[in-house]
Amino acid sequence: MAGLIAWEALVRLSGLPAFILPPPSVVGRRFLELAGEGGLWRHTFVTLLEILAGLVVGVTIAFLLGYLVAKSPSLERILAPYIVASQSIPVVAIAPLMIIWFGAGTLSKVLISALIVFFPVLVNTVVGLRSVPADLHDLMRSLRATRWQTFTKLDVPASLPVMFGGLKIGATLAVIGAVVGEFVAADQGLGFLITLNRGLYDTAGVFVAVFLLIGLAMLMYSAVSFLERRMLGWRNRPEA
Amino acid sequence: MMKRPSPRPVLGLVGWITVALVCSACASSAATVAPERIRLPMGYIPNVQYAPFYVAVDRGYFLDEGIELEFDYAFETDGVALVGAGELPFSLASGEQVLLARAQGLPVTYFYAWWQDFPVAVAAPIESGIDTPQDLIGKSIGIPVLGGASFIGYQALMRAAGVSPDAASLEVIGYNQVEALLAGQTDAAVVYANNEPIQLEQLGMPVSVVRVADYVTLSSNGLITNEGTLQSDPELVRGMSRALSRGIDDVLADPDAAFEVCKRYIEGLGDGDPSVQRRVLDASIEFWRSERAGWSDPQAWENMQQVLLETELLKAPVDLARAYSNDYLP
Repeated sequence: MAGLIAWEALVRLSGLPAFILPPPSVVGRRFLELAGEGGLWRHTFVTLLEILAGLVVGVTIAFLLGYLVAKSPSLERILAPYIVASQSIPVVAIAPLMIIWFGAGTLSKVLISALIVFFPVLVNTVVGLRSVPADLHDLMRSLRATRWQTFTKLDVPASLPVMFGGLKIGATLAVIGAVVGEFVAADQGLGFLITLNRGLYDTAGVFVAVFLLIGLAMLMYSAVSFLERRMLGWRNRPEA
Repeated sequence: MMKRPSPRPVLGLVGWITVALVCSACASSAATVAPERIRLPMGYIPNVQYAPFYVAVDRGYFLDEGIELEFDYAFETDGVALVGAGELPFSLASGEQVLLARAQGLPVTYFYAWWQDFPVAVAAPIESGIDTPQDLIGKSIGIPVLGGASFIGYQALMRAAGVSPDAASLEVIGYNQVEALLAGQTDAAVVYANNEPIQLEQLGMPVSVVRVADYVTLSSNGLITNEGTLQSDPELVRGMSRALSRGIDDVLADPDAAFEVCKRYIEGLGDGDPSVQRRVLDASIEFWRSERAGWSDPQAWENMQQVLLETELLKAPVDLARAYSNDYLP
């Protein structure tokens, strides 16, 4: 709140025109106008859908590949250069190509989002799985646990704390991925709304879309944190 | 024996000449004003379409006006915003950008119409039989973005031809019109008449081109400034006009020489086969011919405003008398 008051005061005292820096009161008014027109929620929903889909695709691939890499050092030696190379390509450079390859619809945005989510989740999955103490694996073997039982009863629960770290990063990066795709080619979504409003010199409209994106990123982060608390609540329970 | 002439008078003469030269140099440097360094946002990457600027800089026409021009290949909207904010004195911008910016309170004024016609067009494979806006009914049309010159041009074209813009389905494809047409993703695409059709032909896809300019006159690319600069330094504004006019004249008179100049400003233009870019230059030149250099047609501004109002990109008319001016032409 103090930040908003300071922002309002800064704009009013400096006399900056609204097209350079609109005060929060103007941004608020623009938000109400856009919300009243109805399109704002459609754009928000489209971006949210792309983020969620990108997150699901990115996390699934990263988790599967992460498991294989963690369990097989020889596979890691083969795949590591390609995985690192895939992350050295700036997403903004490859996004236009993905639009050409997969069309300008939702699929390309989902894939761009998945691409940016992939790496942090993969790295954390590998680190998490490798951090499981070896003696616990020995214990599972002594109990004649199957591979599936070891995976579900030991590997996943034991590596979840580290994996959630990657998931939190991935959840916020997914927002960036979706918006980068929308910047390149889109007719809906908050990224499109930013492009449209920039073209109309409607700086307050740009701020509205940016704040909604911040809201989506916080929502994603909070959702993962909530999931983390639910799934890892046992860590905080006092021992009987 | 001849007497050797005394060196003293010679040395004295040399001394006086030296003193005179130094004084003259001092006087000259005091009278010469250093050129004003001006960064000009261009709106696009280095390209042969900027040939008049390259030629004018190369031949010192801007320096003659006391301007040291520096090219800034920034986005068009950023350039307009910087000029509107008074951060830069000039930018290149299309007519619709000026009206949209003024509607948001940016005090920008267009003072030199470089492109006399709007270069946007709709291109389709030649065998598609698309030759008029009516032929686009029921077709899918790729468009880079739902805004900017491409969108305005498409809207103006269809409305001028009496066809509803909604009669065709627009598909946003980014700036991938060439790829979209080659891959058959859309039936047609909104392009720049002086650019993509030439690339497509080179890649083996001859296209028919429905030019916006054949149906309606719209204010196109030109130089803009802000009201502050117009009031404080009108001669600088006229200097920009004069220098650009000389550049355009030179390009029109000798496109081959202009293309050679472009090679010094565009990395890679001199490598490989330059024929496509040479044809882009020729096609662009056709948009620069005018009876009076830089003159803005009032009807073109009326038409542009009308399209923006009809598409609701403008909520209310702006004062056109302040949006453009013909008072600063050479």
